[in-house]
Amino acid sequence: MIAQIIGLLASEDPNVTHHWLFPETAEIIYGGLSSVIVIGGLIKLAGPMAKKAMNGRTAKIQKQLDDAANALTTSSTEAVGIRAALGDIAGERARMLAEADTQAAALLAEGRTRVAAEIAELEAKAATDLNAARGRSSDELRAEIAMLASIATPIVVQATLNDQTKNELIESFISSVGAGR
Amino acid sequence: MSTVKIEAYATALFEIAQADGTLALVEDELFRVARAFESNEQLRNTLSDSTIPADRRQQVAEQLLGAKASNTTTQLVSLVVGSGQVRDLPAIVDSLVKRASSEKQQEVAEVRSAVALSDDQKTRLAAALTKVTGKPVNLKVVIDPSVLGGLVAVVGDEVIDDTVRTRLDQLKTRI
Repeated sequence: MIAQIIGLLASEDPNVTHHWLFPETAEIIYGGLSSVIVIGGLIKLAGPMAKKAMNGRTAKIQKQLDDAANALTTSSTEAVGIRAALGDIAGERARMLAEADTQAAALLAEGRTRVAAEIAELEAKAATDLNAARGRSSDELRAEIAMLASIATPIVVQATLNDQTKNELIESFISSVGAGR
Repeated sequence: MSTVKIEAYATALFEIAQADGTLALVEDELFRVARAFESNEQLRNTLSDSTIPADRRQQVAEQLLGAKASNTTTQLVSLVVGSGQVRDLPAIVDSLVKRASSEKQQEVAEVRSAVALSDDQKTRLAAALTKVTGKPVNLKVVIDPSVLGGLVAVVGDEVIDDTVRTRLDQLKTRI
């Protein structure tokens, strides 16, 4: 085979082409063999790498697809939850408003009760203070009158005690003692 | 001054007055002098002032009593002043009066009045007090304007008080 090929090659004139378009037979043979070798090498050496790369890319794309599907599921779930929550918000708002109304009413009632109690307490204290002040004034007035009376009485008595009265008092004493008191 | 010394002075004065035969008069005058001495602070201070010579103080006492008391009374007061025991004059006189009364089987009745009592009043008062105490009394009247009116009699431990001053005090307490 090889000998045939070499012979064939030797029989050709290197300065003349046998066709204006096609290359020489030997060139076709060499080129074809080279192409087979290169392509074979490529298939042998680069094929697994390409395959691996393609597999990796496929896995990556698959993963992305899975992630997207998961995200979609999650989003759907969340959307359901949000829609449910949205549904609850109105109820919650109504409940909170009702609760706030109840608390406000309770606070108002409590405030009114407390204010009423404080007013009653203040009135009672004012009445007590008033009575105490009245009593104090009365006591002070009484003490003042007593003091003035105790000062004035001896002066008045002394001024009205003349000799006749003094003698009458002496006579009264003697009579009283003489009568055995 | 101790009680023994007071008693000694009282006994001495008593015996002098008794020997003189003027015991009743002297006793009465000394009683009034003692009460005046008690109530007059200036007199008390003057007669007991040790910075004044004793004979000068005796002169003062004699001048004060000269016209108002008997000679015996004046001399006895002068004696006490001269001895420097004038601060105890009331106690000495009280002891003397008590002794004189005991001699006569009498109880001393000290009566305070705002005004002087007439003899008739004294007699009736002595009779009334005798009736109350059951003993004859030796009446000693002290003029004390502070009682204002009425009388207070002290016989032994008994006090009969019917003075205006006491009534005023009671009124004051009640007020």
